[in-house]
Formats: sequence, structure tokens, C-alpha cells
Amino acid sequence: MAERYSSFERGGRRWLWQRLTAAFLVAVLAFHFFLLHFVNHADEVTFGMSQARMQEFTYFSLMILFLLTATFHGVNGVYNALVNQGLSGTQETAVKAVLVVASAVLIVQGVRTALAWAGGVPI
Amino acid sequence: MSQSYDRGLVEDFGRWREFKAGMWAWIFHKFTGWVLVGYLFTHIAVLSTALQSPDAYTTTIQSLESLLVVRILEVGLLAVAVFHILNGVRLLFVDLGLGLESQDKSFYASLLLTGAIVVASVPTFLAGVFG
Amino acid sequence: MSTQLPEQTEDESTETDAKPTAAPQERRLTKKRDRAEEADRQRQAEEAEKALDDDDTYYLKVFRYDPEIAGKKEPRFDDFYVPYHKGMTVLDALMYARDTYDSSLTFRHSCRQAVCGSDAMFVNGQQRLCCKTQLSDLEEPVRIEPLPHAEVVKDLVVDMEHFYDQMEAVEPYFQSSEYPDGELEEQRQSPENREKVKMSTRCIWCGACMSSCNIAAGDNQYLGPAAINKAYRFTMDEREGEDMKQQRLKILEQEHGVWRCQTQFSCTEVCPKDIPLTEHIQELKREAVKNNLKFW
Repeated sequence: MAERYSSFERGGRRWLWQRLTAAFLVAVLAFHFFLLHFVNHADEVTFGMSQARMQEFTYFSLMILFLLTATFHGVNGVYNALVNQGLSGTQETAVKAVLVVASAVLIVQGVRTALAWAGGVPI
Repeated sequence: MSQSYDRGLVEDFGRWREFKAGMWAWIFHKFTGWVLVGYLFTHIAVLSTALQSPDAYTTTIQSLESLLVVRILEVGLLAVAVFHILNGVRLLFVDLGLGLESQDKSFYASLLLTGAIVVASVPTFLAGVFG
Repeated sequence: MSTQLPEQTEDESTETDAKPTAAPQERRLTKKRDRAEEADRQRQAEEAEKALDDDDTYYLKVFRYDPEIAGKKEPRFDDFYVPYHKGMTVLDALMYARDTYDSSLTFRHSCRQAVCGSDAMFVNGQQRLCCKTQLSDLEEPVRIEPLPHAEVVKDLVVDMEHFYDQMEAVEPYFQSSEYPDGELEEQRQSPENREKVKMSTRCIWCGACMSSCNIAAGDNQYLGPAAINKAYRFTMDEREGEDMKQQRLKILEQEHGVWRCQTQFSCTEVCPKDIPLTEHIQELKREAVKNNLKFW
């Protein structure tokens, strides 16, 4: 039986954010691929080159934003795929917790790496 | 009431020939999505060698890039990402309610375009690994 | 091929013991019944042969299952050969098979003109309405199975209760809190508004769409395309008033409401009434988003 919530639990927020992050990622992922495989070549990567890019504030903030949106989009996608397959109840809560923790770890590690290149926030 | 029989997933993969465009799009989008999420975590893990030392980072990346297997996987990654992007754009149009009549044609178009882009990129991706 | 059990023998033996004078009559009647049965069997055999010889026969494979009969507890496929005539539908073929070969073949059907929604089944790998599907459009052998993702009660009959539950959850009836000023004034609807909801009024509750949706298959709480379409029909009806619309949107906006739709389009593909279901669901998603943005 379809459940009726009395609290205003609107499932629409995550749906909308998934689309907004999608539009953003289409552009930025394409740019990222292009820059790192065609303009520069993946087999010529050095710490120095990554550092040079990361020390630019615009590029640095774009990469941080990229990390945040990609993490949300991906993890939310995974969560939805599981709910569609019938994940519910305690299992659902457990999976949600694991995903939130995994996202946090990913973001923290990514930001730390970015800072390592940039040598601090490149203001 | 008599017991009813659980036929399981009637439309399981055994019936793949009967799948229509919309269903394939959904399956591929999910599959490519999982691959990309898996890659995201791996990617950040590999990049975080930069936290150890500049040399650790450079050596890790360059030694990975020298392996043919990795290069081929990168082509696969390109295919997966390009499809997910193109079909994603198709889905964004569907969500906006534009072009719903040709949703199946746009799926085939994204497949074709993905193929074309991947084939065109193979030379760049495999450059230098045979030398 | 008939699975009917003979019932006559029991009665006879008791009667012969009780009334010895009735025995000759009984014997005559038994002989008569036997002759009739023999004639019937011969006729069936002849029909079957004729059907096999005839070029215009269609080969049907029909799903059989009956938990109450020993021989049919494990599902199997029965073969039926039906003579073809121009314009024959799958329903015609099933009815022929039931009337000629096996009267225990069970399936729902009623209007035979695609308005009652009783005979939705899984034919050659797609959800179709049997009375609306021409045999000549199908490749042999024609596989007929009950709707997927639903529990089978017997043969081609599935349990539709879950489908009805989801339909009822969206309050599929006209509700208005706004009435026109005069007591006997009609509640008017503009032609444009009617045109907007027109397609969504065509639903015959056949269940094909819900059966084709992979999300509905996996997620038991998902409302499903039919229910959401029904909600669309009323949400978009201008006669219902704004607060009614808000109430309806609240139902649709739950976690397992419109958001579960992944635009697989299978529902739109299989709908026998050509309702653009996915389009309606998408429109409701946009409505819900616009509605929520107002509060920020």
C-alpha cells in the first residue's frame, strides 16, 4: 500500500539536484577529459604539471566544485538505483549511512590532495 | 486463496531480444553509472599519492600509464563516460518534456555518437604505449 | 486434452444396488453417454487433424498453472492449434482453444473491444491487450503468458489487488472544495483544459503498464504509471481547485511517488489506449518541483 507521510518529506529535492549537478557535470567532465587526455597527455603527467594547474584559483575551485557535484551525483545515483531495486527498511537506513560516510571520506581525501598540489588555498 | 506461483523476474535478461530502446537506455545508464562511481573512488585514491610526495605521485601515474591494460581500460572509461553524458543529455531533455516522441531515436543517436567518439579517440589514448 | 474428471460412474453403482428395476435404463444411458463421448473425442481429433493440415492454423503455446490440480502444480506450456480466420485476435484464439480443446483453460475477458481492460497478457514478450492484438501480427509460436511481475492465480489469471491498491492510493475520483456561486450552476471546464487531460482519461485499468515497469517490479511501494496517470487526470483538471491540487501533489511527491520513475518508457510502449504515460509523469515531476520552489 502506498504510504502517506504527514511530514512534508519531499522527494523532489534530490531529484532536482541530481538534474542540476548532471547539467554541470556534462560540461565539466567533458572539459576535464579534454584537458587531461587531449591537451595534455595522461602518460606525461607529473606532479609539477598538476601543481601548476592547481595553483590557479579558478581551476582549483572548479576542481573542488567538480569533486562535490560528482560525489553527490554518483552516490545519489547509486542510492536511487538500490531503492528502485527494492531496498527498504533497516537495510535502506544502513546503506544510506554507509554512502554518506563514503562520500565524506572521498571529499575529504580529494580536498586534501588538491591542497597538497596547490600548497594551501591558492587565493 | 490458492497459493500463487512466483515466476521470478519474467523479464529477465534471457528475454533481451524483446527489450525496447527505452529499456536498454535505462540499463546502460545504470551500468555506466556504477562504473563511473567505482572509477571516481579509485581515481581519488590514485591521485592521493600526491599526499605522500611529488615523486610518489609522478611515478604511480606514469607507471600505470605505461601498462597497455590501463590504456585500454581508459578507452573503456571514455566510452562509459561519453555514453553516460550523451544519454544523460537525452534524459535531461525528457525531464524538460522536450522531444519525447523521438526518445528512442535519440537513444540510438547517443549510442552511435559514443561509438564514433571512442573510435576517433583511440589513437590519442594509445599513443606512446607501443614505443 | 481435457482435464475434466468423469463423474458418472459413482452414481451408477449406488443406484444399481438400491433399485434393481432401474438397471436396464442405467445401462442404456451409460451406453448413450459413452457413444456421445466417443463421438466428441472423434470430433476433437478430426478438428485437430484438420487444424494441422490446414495452412491457416496458428500454433499457440499457452502458460498453464493450477495449484489445486495435481498435474498442474508445476507451470507448463500447452500447445494449441487454432484455425485462422481473417481478423482473428489472440482472444478469439484463446476462446477457440478453451471451447474446442480444453475447457479448463482460464483467463479473464469481457467486452472484447478494448474498453474493459480484462484481458491484458504477456504475448510474444510484450504486454498486450488480447482482444486488440491481431494474430496475423504475431510470429508463431504465439507464446501467451500471464502479466509479469504479478502473482499468478491460475493459468492466465493474475492477482490484480496490488494494482488496485496503488490506484486507490491516489484518490482516483473527482473532488472539489470550490463550488460555483449559484446552487444549480455547472462546474465548467474549458475545452483547452479538457484537451489537456483527454488522453489521461482513457485508462481502462488493464495493468499492462505497471507490469512493464521494472521499477514497479523491484519497488513494491512505487505508485506505478497507471496510478500516477490517474492522479494527473485530476490534478490537471481545473475544476478541482487549488487546495485539492496541493493535496494531490502531496501524495504524488512522496519518496515512492513520481520520483521513482526512471523514464524507461516501457509503460508508454505497451499502453493499449496510447496514453503518453511517461510524458504525464514527467509533467507532474516538473509541477512538484515548481510547487516546492515557491516555498523557498
